[in-house]
Amino acid sequence: MFKNLVIKFAFSLNHSTFYKEVKKIASNFLQNQDYHYKKYFDIFMILLIIISITILVYEVKYKVPEWMDFFDIYVVTVIFTIEYLARVWVYNDWHLLVVKEYGESQFLNRKFSLWKPTKVALKGKIDYLFSPTAIIDLLAILPAYRPLRVLRIFVLFRVFKLLRYTKSINQFLSVLSSKKFELFTLLFLLFFITITAGIAIYVFEEQKNENINSLFDALYWALITISTVGYGDISPVTTEGRVVSMAIIITGIAMISFVTSVIVSAFSEKLTELKENRIVEEINKNEEFMIICGYGQMTRMFLKHYAVEYNRRYIVIDHDKEKVEEAIKEGYSIIHEDASRHDVIAKFNTDYAKITLLALTGSDIANIYITLNAKALSPKIRVITRATTDKIAKKCKLAGADSVVMPSLIANRMLFSAITQPVMYKAIYAILTGQHLAQLDEVNLTYHQKLIGKKIETLNFKEHKLLCIGLQVGVSREFVFNPSMQTSLEKGDILLIMGRKVSIAHFKKLYEGIRYV
Amino acid sequence: MFKEKAFMFGYSPKRLFLAQELGCKLMSFTIVVNEEKDYLNAINDGYKNVKILDVTDDTALERLDIKEKDYLICVMDDHYLNVFLTLSLHALFPKAIVVALSDSPHTTQKLKMAGASKIIDLYQVSANRIHNILHKPVATKLVERLLSSEEDFSFKEMKIPKASSLDGMMVDDFDFSCHGVILVGMIDERLSNQFIFITSGLENRFDVGDTIVCIGYNEDLEKFEDYIRL
Repeated sequence: MFKNLVIKFAFSLNHSTFYKEVKKIASNFLQNQDYHYKKYFDIFMILLIIISITILVYEVKYKVPEWMDFFDIYVVTVIFTIEYLARVWVYNDWHLLVVKEYGESQFLNRKFSLWKPTKVALKGKIDYLFSPTAIIDLLAILPAYRPLRVLRIFVLFRVFKLLRYTKSINQFLSVLSSKKFELFTLLFLLFFITITAGIAIYVFEEQKNENINSLFDALYWALITISTVGYGDISPVTTEGRVVSMAIIITGIAMISFVTSVIVSAFSEKLTELKENRIVEEINKNEEFMIICGYGQMTRMFLKHYAVEYNRRYIVIDHDKEKVEEAIKEGYSIIHEDASRHDVIAKFNTDYAKITLLALTGSDIANIYITLNAKALSPKIRVITRATTDKIAKKCKLAGADSVVMPSLIANRMLFSAITQPVMYKAIYAILTGQHLAQLDEVNLTYHQKLIGKKIETLNFKEHKLLCIGLQVGVSREFVFNPSMQTSLEKGDILLIMGRKVSIAHFKKLYEGIRYV
Repeated sequence: MFKEKAFMFGYSPKRLFLAQELGCKLMSFTIVVNEEKDYLNAINDGYKNVKILDVTDDTALERLDIKEKDYLICVMDDHYLNVFLTLSLHALFPKAIVVALSDSPHTTQKLKMAGASKIIDLYQVSANRIHNILHKPVATKLVERLLSSEEDFSFKEMKIPKASSLDGMMVDDFDFSCHGVILVGMIDERLSNQFIFITSGLENRFDVGDTIVCIGYNEDLEKFEDYIRL
């Protein structure tokens, strides 16, 4: 009976779009670094932490107003508690495990065990609860409990909680963790020398130095000396003690230099990676962006003409270091990676952002591989691939490319028309190269709703120095060349016009705007 | 069949389409290569008029039967050689029309200085096409139809013949749309030999000898060409 209720409950959660949506939103705010609005949540939490720390520190010496105390106990702490519980909630999905287990038990005709999925889910939650960040979150709630003043010390954990929301500190820690071995070796050496020197000074001076009364004093002196801090409250009085001092001062200087060089080298090794991660994070904040694979001649030309238009909503990936440096000099957003690797494309926000990927490397094989890679990751990614021959173009289409660009084919067609129809060539060349004097452009009635209901004859294309080439009918998407003057424009239609850039811009401006009904 | 005579310098799989089109549609078409493997490839692809010579040697180039107004198409894969060849051909045959392929704005500039009459920047066109695919899908489809030789829709240039019904008419006074075609531009021989887009706002008159460029369905274009002959 109970099991049936649980299964029913798990299934109802599994089918509830509302539940899924709420959990997805919570998960995005708490865990998804690529989520556009997460930064606002992070800023809000940082402000809350700063306010609460200020209140708690102020309270040590002064009496805080009642409303401030109320704010700290009921607002800050309640928000922290909700956040803590929400993190535990989104960590894993118990109902999914129950549904899966039930499905398997039905399929295999075995007895359904509720404990099995519950155990897995609980284990996951417990693992999370004992993770350092979850412990910090929990301890950060404790200072709110006023009767036990000792709990105020946990205010420190509110400071640690800031780590969650500040990337720089996390990056610093991740850089240090890459040199874990070297740093632990040095720490062990420091421990060994401190102990040895402490014991030595204790043996030499315990009877003669009035400031050294215990082994702890000796160890304290050794640590203060080796770190080159040297408070001066304890100093050696015997020749043996001074010799020990000289030895550990020299060792201390050497160790500090060593630690500094380890940290500096860790940073210099990781600097490019950190910078590139920042570029990826920045691009992932956009709802729509472009990934350009390969910094070859075509990419150069594309960026030369359109980089301003895309206004940092693009990123170039190339595995050739020289090309990457060249692109950086030109001021383009580029990362040094191999675009054909799955994990490189997976770095991007493929779930939420509208991504267009241009596979423009010089190699057909690489372009096809990149296309497959992107489409395997998310079929939603729009892929435009470069191909050298039509056989390769067919393969690109098979690989899932939405469009294929063949530079040689376009050039060949233009060369052909340059020879056979030289006058016409000028028109084609102007249109294909997007020259200002003759552009082919679209007027989408979704964004130019003032045109809805108007007849073509009333638009005075001649007066606007424009040509109406055709019309794509909104519903059927049928293209009508040279539409009749009596054609009435409807919502969703796309007008195809030709003219100077300035004429087109003027016409669009005239009819731009969304009509609210 | 077009009466133009053309020499294509360079042959590679990338130029197969061009060679096929020119080979079929021109009265005289010669492929000139400077490497044995390209020569063999061209022969294997069925071209009979293939010559192998050192394109850096002016004497060898002079031996080619190049006349005034012949088209010299420089499509060598080596862009340094392509620029050098353009310069040599322009120096040797100043009245011939040199058409060259470029891969960057710098090369375009050099080819222009070397005397090429028409330069097609491979990547500028492609970059613009990518932009159009993204932002002007309907326009892109139309341009594809216009460029594809397999489609029933194209550009056509027509010379206004003697006693044409268009002769003496102002551009604005003639209704092209009732013929199913759109006038894109023209060369008004009276004013200059420059191509003028109809959207430039100039008021032109059709005269005998002017060249007009229209777009439309092939059938309508043919009918219209017949009409202006009347």
